[in-house]
Amino acid sequence: MKRFLLMVAVMGTVTVVCGADITVRGEGASKDAVSLTGLAATGETGSLFVQTLQGDLERSGWFKIDPAGQIRVSGAASARADGLSVSSLVSWPGKRMEWNRSSAAGATEVRRLAHQLANDMVKNIKGERGIAGTRIVLVNRRGPNNADLFMCDADGRGLAQITQDNVAAVGPKWDRDGQNILYTSYLHKSPTVYRFPATGGRRLPLAKFNGLNTGAEISPDGRTAVLILALSGNPDVYTLDLGSGAVTRLTQTPHAVEASPAWSPDGAKVVYVGDASGSPQLYSVDVATRRSRRLTYKGSENVNPDWAANGKIVYATRRSGGYQIAVLDPAAGGESDTPLTSGPDHEDPSWAPDSRHIVCSRAEGSGRSSLWILDTQGDSPVRLFPNAGNWMSPDWSDK
Amino acid sequence: MRMNHFVKLALVVVVLVTSSGCTTVKRWFGWGAGAKETTTKVTDVPWDADTGTAINDQKSFAESREPVTGVSFSPVYFGFDSYQLAPVEVSKIEQVAQHLLQNSSHVVLIDGHCDERGSNEYNLSLGEQRAQTIRGYIVSLGIDGGRVQTRSFGEEKPAAPGRAEEAYRLNRRGEFGIYK
Repeated sequence: MKRFLLMVAVMGTVTVVCGADITVRGEGASKDAVSLTGLAATGETGSLFVQTLQGDLERSGWFKIDPAGQIRVSGAASARADGLSVSSLVSWPGKRMEWNRSSAAGATEVRRLAHQLANDMVKNIKGERGIAGTRIVLVNRRGPNNADLFMCDADGRGLAQITQDNVAAVGPKWDRDGQNILYTSYLHKSPTVYRFPATGGRRLPLAKFNGLNTGAEISPDGRTAVLILALSGNPDVYTLDLGSGAVTRLTQTPHAVEASPAWSPDGAKVVYVGDASGSPQLYSVDVATRRSRRLTYKGSENVNPDWAANGKIVYATRRSGGYQIAVLDPAAGGESDTPLTSGPDHEDPSWAPDSRHIVCSRAEGSGRSSLWILDTQGDSPVRLFPNAGNWMSPDWSDK
Repeated sequence: MRMNHFVKLALVVVVLVTSSGCTTVKRWFGWGAGAKETTTKVTDVPWDADTGTAINDQKSFAESREPVTGVSFSPVYFGFDSYQLAPVEVSKIEQVAQHLLQNSSHVVLIDGHCDERGSNEYNLSLGEQRAQTIRGYIVSLGIDGGRVQTRSFGEEKPAAPGRAEEAYRLNRRGEFGIYK
């Protein structure tokens, strides 16, 4: 109680300057300074906790680590025989958060605990959704009809192969609760949509109709998949009711190709690529009325759309011969003249759940591609992981 | 026997070109000067099937049948970002239709492919559209639709490596696999 009163008293004097004081210009985006010097780490697991927390706070985009920061994390991350115990207090001008938790001793558990604190700080201090502990599923393509799915944490750690098929694999997507992964595989010789638990388990076909089955994404309410089928003689956007198995065609363009459907955050609309105009462009279709509206006109091609929780759509736009990442707000209208990226081709963007960061592929000179995290608020792109290989089609989990 | 089939094929084509039903597919055979528009009736494709429950456990011929060895057909090549049939490619498809007419136990799986430019997912759809265009033509020549399947590989299975124009040209193709 005494400490609380003291804080309030101190706050009264600090708030006058804190607006200018704690917000510093970082590399690109403005950041709040966090001091971790008051957080004592004991043992290897304690150090791993603090290191992970520091990395998470920096990668969140909202914070920079600074011993003089006015956001202070104090207390102890102590290794115990059975794991790690964290007893900490996070204080920042006007507020404080007590945070006491423990975990088992394994590195995965310790890192998970640090992710939770980082996300709680992002939520309580910035009012934003944290991305620590989220995961990215991706494709490693080795050659013709030879690829597999991999997965890693949002910080690029823990890269692991999750299929061992050596056949083409396309467009992996998380479902909304982050439990299952959907993708298109040639496991049974023709393109089939499969779904499987991310933690391992049976892989079951979700769509195995005649012809093309691809591009599946589960709706926000978990009841419906949107996907590309060719039941009527050419590729169209369909919904597949996961309960009844009924399919409904959302587009009716016998002379055009549709691809890459993605749900709006409210599940009322689907953005997709269609070439009815003569080139691949983005359209939005109202699921109830099946009415489509063209969204893009700039660029010779606009592909790979993904709809963020905040309503914005990220996509790859072809300008001056190369593919770059751009963002548009369908509610406000208007495509940007300036893509987020420049230089080599950037494709396959996917939003992080914070509606701020984007993971995408970037072409390397060798004909391969690597994966990069972009920041829509100005921080420099960061390579997801350094491993050599041909990495593509990343999808960022919502949870 | 062989002559009869050619006559039959020719008749089918004439009938189709001169008919004007409500379910027609317009297709340009060729580009630029001398390009000629023809319409081909596609009978087995329900454009009005907006909703319904299709069979969601379909095995492709590659999974359910045996490949026929010793029979191969030339690939059909396409222009960049196009699924239109060029005039010089049409006879290749007619040879496949001819084979199917002469071998009633045989079926064909048409693989659609793309060059590596463009998004993987868009190319999967474009490859399907290429295969479907070829399929539509085979069916229009009198082959039962149940004997003609499509499969798209998009850009996942190039025939030629590299990023030269010639490699791109060889990769934009439809291939025929005969099964029994």
